[in-house]
Amino acid sequence: MKTRYPTLVRLALRNLGRELRRSALTAAAMALGLALLIVSRTLSDGAHEDWIEAGVRLGEGHLVFNAAGYRDSESLEDHLSPDQVAASVAAAGLSELPGGEVNSVRIAARGLASSADGAMPAWILGVDPDVELIFSELGADVLEGRYLQQGDRLHAFIGQGMATRLGLRIGSRMVLTAQVAEGGIEGQLVRVVGLFRTGADELDDALVHIPLATAQSWLGVDGATSVATLLPHSAFTRQVVEQATAALARAGVDVTGWEESTPDLYSAVKMDDAGDWVFHFILFAIVALAILNAVFMSVLHRKREFGLLRALGLSARDTGLIVFIEGVLLTAASGVIGVSLGFALVWVFFRNGLDLSEMMPPDLTFGGIVFDPVLYPVIEVKHLTQSLFFTAVIGLSASVYPAWQAAALDPAESVKVE
Amino acid sequence: MSDEYAVRTRDLWKIYPQEPRPVEAVRGVDLMVAMGEFVAMAGPSGSGKTTVLNLLGGLTRPTRGEVWIEGLEISSLTDRALAEVRMNRIGFVFQSYNLLPVLTAMENAEFTLLLQGVPAPERRRRVRELFSEIGLEGMEDRLPPKLSGGQQQRVAVARAVLGEPALVLADEPTANLDSATAEALLDVMEKLNRDKGTTFVFSTHDPRVMERAGRLIRLVDGRIENSAVGTG
Repeated sequence: MKTRYPTLVRLALRNLGRELRRSALTAAAMALGLALLIVSRTLSDGAHEDWIEAGVRLGEGHLVFNAAGYRDSESLEDHLSPDQVAASVAAAGLSELPGGEVNSVRIAARGLASSADGAMPAWILGVDPDVELIFSELGADVLEGRYLQQGDRLHAFIGQGMATRLGLRIGSRMVLTAQVAEGGIEGQLVRVVGLFRTGADELDDALVHIPLATAQSWLGVDGATSVATLLPHSAFTRQVVEQATAALARAGVDVTGWEESTPDLYSAVKMDDAGDWVFHFILFAIVALAILNAVFMSVLHRKREFGLLRALGLSARDTGLIVFIEGVLLTAASGVIGVSLGFALVWVFFRNGLDLSEMMPPDLTFGGIVFDPVLYPVIEVKHLTQSLFFTAVIGLSASVYPAWQAAALDPAESVKVE
Repeated sequence: MSDEYAVRTRDLWKIYPQEPRPVEAVRGVDLMVAMGEFVAMAGPSGSGKTTVLNLLGGLTRPTRGEVWIEGLEISSLTDRALAEVRMNRIGFVFQSYNLLPVLTAMENAEFTLLLQGVPAPERRRRVRELFSEIGLEGMEDRLPPKLSGGQQQRVAVARAVLGEPALVLADEPTANLDSATAEALLDVMEKLNRDKGTTFVFSTHDPRVMERAGRLIRLVDGRIENSAVGTG
């Protein structure tokens, strides 16, 4: 019985060759669909990674270590001790990721920024300037002056919005007021060394960076309120969170991934992802119908041949198998062409990106994230595998019905068809 | 169970359920064809000739009754087992469009042997030998559209006999051929019947086939009206 399979494959191949135009058009529809899927998927993944990257850099990293209870209370009382800070940094490095991680030890406090012109709410962050330059990249958004540097003490780096509202310039003095760890309200005089502009009003109007040591002595915190960790890629988050959580189980330290610490961002990514899948589903439903139509028409045109094959000794299953093999071969060929075409396009976008600035308003933000109008693709093996699997399932599914039809033909009736 | 008959039927019926009344295409046919016979079934259109051939070949199942091929009762076999019977014990020649258009004359002729698992060199040898006997030498690599109607029918006959079946069922094989080509095809089949002992059962309207038949069976309204020794 096994000797039949090469014969069935040969017949399937010859049939595809006989209807070369129809086969080529069907394969082209599938290949184009897959190529578009790959391009759209990789650009989408690239955009999502951009959003996440921007969100975690200006927020709390891919994961954040806090003292137990801090995320609910946001009280400086619930801060990490120096030992907990050291343990958190060590736990973040356990995964030994390629490219390594960046840990930013921070003290965060909500307070008030005031000048002679007025006062406004402030989100005060005590940071290590060298680490923060790599972490948040705020240093790249300097509008005027400079970012903080080692040796700075009573200095502040503030957003353009705050500077405008409080009438501050480089060298101006301002007072930051916040509740300290012991419970009282205390002020700290600082001098503006630089202004930034991210394009996100939430940050430009409220964020203030001051040196970590200044924040520690002013707010009475010997350790930090958080250790924010930046990973080489968001895909590593779950793995690192799980390892760090296990390592710090008895250290009184909570580990939170970006999905939880930045729920708005997570929702935005998930919503966009869902939209992509709907788009892909529609795209492939159309492709599937095209394949179904092509293969089915080809079966209808070959009724007599199938009857003849049955008369010659093929079973119903064998004749159905010929049609199914045709579908498999068509899907495989389309897969190879589609992947090649898809990657060729992805390569073009790797080099130049897809510039959507004409279609997007400038400084488009969401939840404090500024969207980059130039999209660069990112290849995620999991999503690529899903796309290929999806294509294979669609291609093969679209062959099942015609194959079943071919198998169900009545041989005596089929040989009569002229 | 071995049998002296290539094919035998008992009280064979084929009824097609149809509105307003079921159609009785074959009505209680009892038929016996011995090994090596050259039998023609004649009758007017709608007399049930093709249906009887389809029942004998296992292409359709009887409503009731039995069919034995070389002693094997086939009407109750599974689809797969029936396919095996068709492959190993029955050869078919249809009126037209007998060949698979994507295969060459050689590939068409060797198709049954291929399914039977005969090794390629043996297949090729047997096809070449038969092609030279029936005037198809040099046609091996031609695709069906490049063959004349008569040549196509001869390739179909070659395919039907190469698997060494118990019987060859030919449904009006000369219907679409001109006189000379029809005579030539009949010569080939007669020769194969005589030389190789292949059993042939034809359905036909063609007097030339009837003349050559060893036995002529007349079908009317799905029944055998009479069965007589032919002039062939």
